[in-house]
Amino acid sequence: MLELRGATYRYAGYAHPVLHEMDLALRDGEIVGLVGATEAGKSTICLVASGLAPLSIGGELRGEVLIDGQPTTRLSVHELAQWVVIGFQDPATQRSGVAATVFEEVALGPMNLGLPVAETLARTRRALATLRIEHLADRHPARLSGGQGQLVAMAGLLAMGPRHVVLDEPTAQLDPEGSKLVAAALRDLAATGAALLIAEQRTDVLDRLCDRVAVVDGGRIVLDGPAAATLEDPRLGGWGVEPPARVRLAGALAARGLPSLADLGWPA
Amino acid sequence: MAGGYLVPIALIAIVLACAAIAGIVRRLVRVSLLLTLPIAISVILVSALTRPGETVLLVLGPFDITLEGVDFAGQTLVRLFAISTAIGLFTLSTDPRAFVFDLERRGLSPRFAFAVAATIEAVPALASRAGVIAAAQRSRGLDTEGSPLTRIRGVLPLVGPVLLSSLAEVEERSLALEVRAFGRPGRRQLLWWPPDRPRERVARWLLVAALAGLVAARVLGAWPAIP
Amino acid sequence: MAGMNGGADGAAAAAIEVAADSARAAAGANGPAAAAIEVAGLVHVYPDGTRALDGVDLRVVAGESVAIVGQNGSGKTTLARHLNGLLRPTEGVVRIQGRDVAGARVARLAAVVGLAFQDPDQQIFAGRVRAEVTFGPRNLGMRGPDLDDAVADALAAVDLASAVDAIPYDLGYPRRKLLAIASVLAMRTPIVILDEPTTGQDLRGATSVREIVRRLTAEGRTVLAISHDLRFVAETFGRVVVMREGQIVLDGGPAEVFDAAAWPALASTYLEPPLAARVGAYLGLGSTPTEGALVEALGAASRP
Repeated sequence: MLELRGATYRYAGYAHPVLHEMDLALRDGEIVGLVGATEAGKSTICLVASGLAPLSIGGELRGEVLIDGQPTTRLSVHELAQWVVIGFQDPATQRSGVAATVFEEVALGPMNLGLPVAETLARTRRALATLRIEHLADRHPARLSGGQGQLVAMAGLLAMGPRHVVLDEPTAQLDPEGSKLVAAALRDLAATGAALLIAEQRTDVLDRLCDRVAVVDGGRIVLDGPAAATLEDPRLGGWGVEPPARVRLAGALAARGLPSLADLGWPA
Repeated sequence: MAGGYLVPIALIAIVLACAAIAGIVRRLVRVSLLLTLPIAISVILVSALTRPGETVLLVLGPFDITLEGVDFAGQTLVRLFAISTAIGLFTLSTDPRAFVFDLERRGLSPRFAFAVAATIEAVPALASRAGVIAAAQRSRGLDTEGSPLTRIRGVLPLVGPVLLSSLAEVEERSLALEVRAFGRPGRRQLLWWPPDRPRERVARWLLVAALAGLVAARVLGAWPAIP
Repeated sequence: MAGMNGGADGAAAAAIEVAADSARAAAGANGPAAAAIEVAGLVHVYPDGTRALDGVDLRVVAGESVAIVGQNGSGKTTLARHLNGLLRPTEGVVRIQGRDVAGARVARLAAVVGLAFQDPDQQIFAGRVRAEVTFGPRNLGMRGPDLDDAVADALAAVDLASAVDAIPYDLGYPRRKLLAIASVLAMRTPIVILDEPTTGQDLRGATSVREIVRRLTAEGRTVLAISHDLRFVAETFGRVVVMREGQIVLDGGPAEVFDAAAWPALASTYLEPPLAARVGAYLGLGSTPTEGALVEALGAASRP
C-alpha cells in the first residue's frame, strides 16, 4: 500500500507549500483517479507519491510517504523505482533517445537495474505483451504516433516491475485515437495487479475505470470516494473539473425535468 | 622533395581502399573535401604566396610565388587530406551506438555511454525543434527572409524559445530517466554489443605494435625527419 | 440540415441555426460573397516523399468559423501552414483575400493571417507577458496607443490582464497556451487560425477559448481552428471540415457532419461523434450535435 500521511510539500525556491496536510492511500490493486483544476496540485501529488519529490527535485516535504509502512525517504531513487514509477504527459520526453527499437527502449529500465540478460528479456517481452504492442517491437521509438509513444513509455515503466504506477495526465496531449489506445492500456495495466494512481483532466477516461476518485483543490483533497459517486457530484464544476459527458447530459436533462438517459433506454 | 608526398599519399590510398571495401568511398571523399577545403584554401594561399624560396615561378603584384612555396603547400594539402580521410573513415563506418555499447562492455560507465549516445541523437531533434520555433515566430511577423541585417535581427526571438523549451524539457526528461533506474551505480548486463572476431583482435594488436615501432624509430632518429 | 430534423426543426438551438445558415451560404456562394480563403486542388508532398495533402478544395467566406478535424497525420496542420505561407503548394493554388499567396513572404502574410501554434513553449520567448503580446503587433508596425489597445484587448480576451507583468514560465501550461493565443489576437488579423486550442487546456481555459472564438466571429473575423475535440467543435463552430489522409471527407455544419448519415465517413477517420449526437440518433431525434440541441429536441419531443 502506498500512503501519503499529512503530506505538506513546498517546491524548492517557492515561498509557500503547494500541498497541505494531504492524506491519500493507494491500496494494492486499486485504481484511483485524481481530478482537479490545473495548479490544484495533481502533478505535485504525483511527484510526491512517486518519491521524486523531494528525492530528485528537492523541496521540503513534511508528513510521510509510506510504502507498506516504510518511509520512502530512506531509499534512493532507483531503489524506489522498483516499487513505484511515474509516467508523464509527453511521450517525447519519456523517450530515452538512445534506443533504436521499441524493444531496446522498454528493456532500458531492467538493463539499468543490472538484471541478467534472461531476466531483462523476459520482463521486456511480458511488458510488450501486456500492453499488446509486440507488433511495435522493431519500430523506431521516435517514429510512432503519440498514443503509441505513450504505450511504449508505459511498457518501459511496467518492465521495472513496480507495485504502484502513477500517471500524470497520460492522455492530455493525445488525439482521440491515442486516448482510446491509452485508456484500453490502462485496463491492461490494472489487470496486472499493479495499483494505479491516474491524474486526469478528461474525466471520461476515468469514468468506468477507477475504483475511487479523489478531487484536489488548492492543494487539499476535498472529496475522496467511490468513482461513480464522486464523478456525479454536482460540486465538481466549482472545483474546476468537467464531469464526464454522461453526467453533464444527465444534469442538463434533470434540470429541464426531462426523463434520464436510462429511462429513455440509452444503454449504460 | 617527393619523399614528403609519399607517405601521406600512400596513407590516403590505404584509407580509400578500406572505404571501397566498406562501400563508402563517395561519402568519404565528400566529407573529407567539406572538412578540408576551407583550411586547405587558406593554407595554400598563405604558403604559395608568401613562403620564401629560390625558384620564382610567377610574380603576382607584391607576391612572389616560388617553387618551394607551392611544394610546401602541396605537402600540407596531402597531409591534411590524409588526416581527414582517416578520421572520416572511422566516423562513417562506425555505428555510434555499436561503438558506445562496445566501450561500455569494456568498462566505460553506463552514464557516460548514455551521454555520448544521447548527444549523437540530440542534434537532429534540436534542428527540427529550431525549425518549428522559427515557423512560429515567422507567423508572428518575424522577418527571416530579407536583408542580412533583418535576418540577423530575426535570430534573437528564436534563441529564447529554443533554449528555454529545451531546458524546460530537461527536468522532465531527467525525471523520466531516473524512474528507469538510470542513476543506479554499477555495471549493466548489456543485451548486445558488436562481436569481436579473432582477426580483428589480431589487426588491432598489429596496429598498436606498428604505432609503437614508428614512434620508437622516430625517437631513435631512424626515421628521416620531414622538412 | 435544418430540413432533415423534421419535427425537431424548430427545436434546434438558435446558435446552430445561425451557424448552419452561414455554412450554407459559404457552400452555395459562387459570386460576390468575399472569399477570405480559397484553396483549389492543393497537393503537398514533403521532401521525404510523404503526400500530406492530396487534392484539397476549400472555400471559406469572410466571417465564417470553421473547425478542421481529423486524426494526427490527416493533413490538417499541413493545410493550416499553407494558409499563412509557411508551406508552399506542390500543386494547386492558395488565395488569401483573393490574392495568390505564392511568393508572398510569411512576415507579410502575418498581417492578414494570424496562426497560433499548438505548443506555446515553441513561441514564447519574452521575459514578461506584456512583452510577449507586444511582439506580434509591433512586427506589423503598430505603435503608440493603437499598440497598447491591441495588447490590452488581447490580454482581457484570455483573462490574463492581471498577469500582464508576470513571467510567462511562472504561468501553468494552460495559461501559457492562452498567452500564445493572446499574442496572435493582438495582431488583429482579419483571419485567425488556432492550432489545437483546447488540447491540454483545463475547464476554465476551454471556456475562455470558446468565448474567444465567439467574440472573433461577432467582430466579423474569420476563425479557423484545428481540433480533435469534437464536443468543442460541435458547440463552437458553424462549419466542420473532416480530413483523412490528405483529403476532405466531410464538409458542412455540425448538424450535418455529426448526423447519423455521416457516421460511416466519420468512422473511417477513427473519429467518434459527440455523445449528444449518438444519443439523439439512438432516440430518433434527428441530428443533435450538441448537448443543448439534444436537450431542446427532447424537450420538444416530450411536449404534448
